[in-house]
Amino acid sequence: MSTSRVPLGTFVHARSGDKGGNANIGLWVRQDPTGSEDPERRSARIDWLLGFVTTERVRELLPETAQLPVEVHPLANLGGVNVIVEGLLGDGVAASTRFDPQAKALGEWIRSRLVDVPDELLDPTPS
Amino acid sequence: MTGGPHDPAGPLIVANCSGFYGDRLSAMREMLDSGPVDVITGDYLAELTMLILGKDQLRDPSLGYARTFVSQIEQCLGDALERGVRIVSNAGGLNPTGLAERIREVAAGLGLSPVIGVVDGDDLAPRSAELGFEGALTANAYLGGFGIARALAAGADVVVTGRVTDASVVVGPGIWRFGWGTDDHDALAGAVAAGHVIECGTHATGGNFSGFMDLPRDALPLGFPIAELHADGSSVITKHPGTGGMVTIDTVTAQLMYEIQGPVYDNPDVRTDLRSIELSGDGPDRVRISGVTGSAPPEQLKVATNTLGGHRNQMEFVLVGLDLDAKEAWLREQMDAALADRRPAEVVWTRGPDPVPDADTEEGAARRVRCVVKDPSAEVVGKAFTAAGVELALSSYPGFTLTAPPGKPSPFGVYRPAYVDRDQVRERVLVDGVEIGEIS
Repeated sequence: MSTSRVPLGTFVHARSGDKGGNANIGLWVRQDPTGSEDPERRSARIDWLLGFVTTERVRELLPETAQLPVEVHPLANLGGVNVIVEGLLGDGVAASTRFDPQAKALGEWIRSRLVDVPDELLDPTPS
Repeated sequence: MTGGPHDPAGPLIVANCSGFYGDRLSAMREMLDSGPVDVITGDYLAELTMLILGKDQLRDPSLGYARTFVSQIEQCLGDALERGVRIVSNAGGLNPTGLAERIREVAAGLGLSPVIGVVDGDDLAPRSAELGFEGALTANAYLGGFGIARALAAGADVVVTGRVTDASVVVGPGIWRFGWGTDDHDALAGAVAAGHVIECGTHATGGNFSGFMDLPRDALPLGFPIAELHADGSSVITKHPGTGGMVTIDTVTAQLMYEIQGPVYDNPDVRTDLRSIELSGDGPDRVRISGVTGSAPPEQLKVATNTLGGHRNQMEFVLVGLDLDAKEAWLREQMDAALADRRPAEVVWTRGPDPVPDADTEEGAARRVRCVVKDPSAEVVGKAFTAAGVELALSSYPGFTLTAPPGKPSPFGVYRPAYVDRDQVRERVLVDGVEIGEIS
């Protein structure tokens, strides 16, 4: 199976935030904005994402989480996963020394990381 | 077009006009004027907000509520009363009776006399020691929607609450309209899902949305969201016509995924199974939420506690050009020595991205190095800290400069969730100052 190295955000959306000292990230397969997507490919993308996002993968893509407990909860009905990174924000937003104390941009960071995606899940590149 | 209850047999139209304390002030007016609504709701309380309100109240005990809500009421109350639009918010924060009093004064000044409901009993700070969260500046149990429903049923035009959950301001009106009981778990769960989607305001209509490339991205402000709530708990998420942004399956998914802690979303009235939610398109800017299932709520109530943690401060040093690692190492050595006498409890150094070599702008040639300090004492992270940095101005690495003048230390809190048995919390509902009975 041939793959290409592309940003995770190529067809994956994200929203991240905080609960106390924990950061959470939602990752899901976006709807085709034209509304004309092949439902089979959409479901193949969701299967791929659900298999791809694991604790180890999150730690690899976000090295700042490498030492922290990471939970991944599948939400197949919403086309994605809920990720919880425990303790990333220290004592919580008011106390955190992090550059992004509420983890608002953590999702955009992970979307920008390069990952290997099966070519059949990608739109053909115009030649 | 003006707002107002439009169809008693149809869905209950619940608008949101605030996702946090400090959200767009004109939003209540916009929701009232740009299309039909039955109830306007707002969430004003984040974990951090409770701390801010706690600090307000240390200065002046008559405060402790979201003051922007008073301005919104002042602008909108007359029209809301005339059109029969109810207003429900958790803007009461730590002092909902104080907020009700303030609203009464403002209304009287406008020649109005609304019926005002208050839901409180969430404030456990006076009993912190007894309940096991000693030293907390604020301690508030998260309450559900049944108290709000009773206040509405008793005729309240405006209901202000303490720490009800963000979704409860939507669940409560649903209970009021459709008469759900505590065992109607699926309907309650559906309302929690709808409430969770609209509680963060424009988060549901294209704000902070990773699909923003599909938005018009023009200057038109994003519209605030609406949930058309049905008797079975299903809903359609939408927004008023002509407002900015969009409502799509992706904008709704984004908010459903936000701040959740696993596949089950706990609320005081019901546990919502997020795996049951079905989203489908229902025309332009309309997304239907259906199929939501719920189960009996957790036995204990969650409590948000905030403790004053200490004070913090920071300085950002700019290093430009060559030998950046050596410049940074020397700076840190000098700072360590200067802070040695009264070293703050926590000293954290972080570094921005490295510049490209041979940069063609000065900023492009710069590395920014940030020093963040925390300590129980304001003094240790005040002048003692900033002077250590400033005194290096002429005695450190070449090109020494700071991105901002040294600032004053700011106090910080530590948020901790806790849990209490339900019988420890006595929820009260007051209508025009008279208690209408306990919620068990």
